[in-house]
Amino acid sequence: MNDDTSTQTAQPRRLRRSSRDRLLLGVAGGLGRYFRIDPVIFRIGFGVSILIGGLGALAYLLLAIFVPTDGDPDWAERIGDRLRSRGLWRALGLIAVGALALAGLFALAGGAAFAVALGWGVPVAIAVISVGALLALTAFRGGARWLIAPAVAIAIGAGAAAAADLDFRGGIGEREYTPTSAASIPADGYRLGVGRLIVDLRHLDWNRDRIVRLKVDLGAGQANVFVPRRVCVVGDTHVGAGESEIVGELNDGFDVDHGAGSDSSAVPRLQIDAEVDVGQLRVINSDTASVDNPGYGPDPLHEDTAPLRAAEATACATG
Amino acid sequence: MRDRLRVDRVSLSSGVVIAATGVVLLLDSSGAVDLAPGWMAVALTGAVGAILLLGGLLDGGEKRHD
Repeated sequence: MNDDTSTQTAQPRRLRRSSRDRLLLGVAGGLGRYFRIDPVIFRIGFGVSILIGGLGALAYLLLAIFVPTDGDPDWAERIGDRLRSRGLWRALGLIAVGALALAGLFALAGGAAFAVALGWGVPVAIAVISVGALLALTAFRGGARWLIAPAVAIAIGAGAAAAADLDFRGGIGEREYTPTSAASIPADGYRLGVGRLIVDLRHLDWNRDRIVRLKVDLGAGQANVFVPRRVCVVGDTHVGAGESEIVGELNDGFDVDHGAGSDSSAVPRLQIDAEVDVGQLRVINSDTASVDNPGYGPDPLHEDTAPLRAAEATACATG
Repeated sequence: MRDRLRVDRVSLSSGVVIAATGVVLLLDSSGAVDLAPGWMAVALTGAVGAILLLGGLLDGGEKRHD
């Protein structure tokens, strides 16, 4: 007698989160019961919307907070009650303050990561130690718990940047280098902190410069190295996080290492040593690829990299 | 007398954990150790977990004694 059906016939239909049919907070179960639709449809809808922008997560959370449950009040309902009891504008104000505080913590973490990437790792670490010591000392005078969250945010940002070996030294912006001889390439290579780094080696006299050594180091962004298709590319590349496209070989993810050319001794040959901390590294062996828009120029490079792989195989097999 | 010497144990324990995390960061930044991303993640999540755990345990204990 106390089942859902009898309750629905005795009372006007009201939207309530389900305390029985629930995977998380019973929102989909409640919606399904209210609209008399299988809750799985709502679950799929929330899941898909989360994947394509995240609006579903926000909607789910708001429904969880502002739609009461049909069972014992849970934490979401208690938050909703508290917000309602404080009035709408005050509740919105609290949400805004919370969002601002969260944004501030993210900004602190990002700032700490940026500072570490600029080479200020030691001062940032000393700052974290100092804040920790200050927090411990204030414990004897009542404490300063508000310091905990910012200190943790700074530590997490700095730790993430240090662990990823982020290195933004070398400037910010776009750099394009078009050396015309191997001698004009700096021995320590080309370096950029954040931005787009282009090294176009197609203007070298490869009949004279048979073996060219190149180092490329980019903190975050995109690094594109262009060589003629008849040049064999050998050497090691590393991408900390992002995508690597080395003479047509596509890889992505974290710690993407690639060894090109299988130590071929063919000439002409580019001996490359390239590293990108976060972003994209591309070595493009094409005579026609556009510097400004590689992959979408005359050659369908990024869409079909088979011609690049074939050219590399031919270049490294001869000589 | 007891009130004047009362120590906020949550602040004390959190401060110690944060300072210890700072020492790990200092060692890594100065090159004394080279922590892999996985170990750094373990250190950071361990620090956050310790702060939450100690905060919950100590704060809960203090409230029960009030």
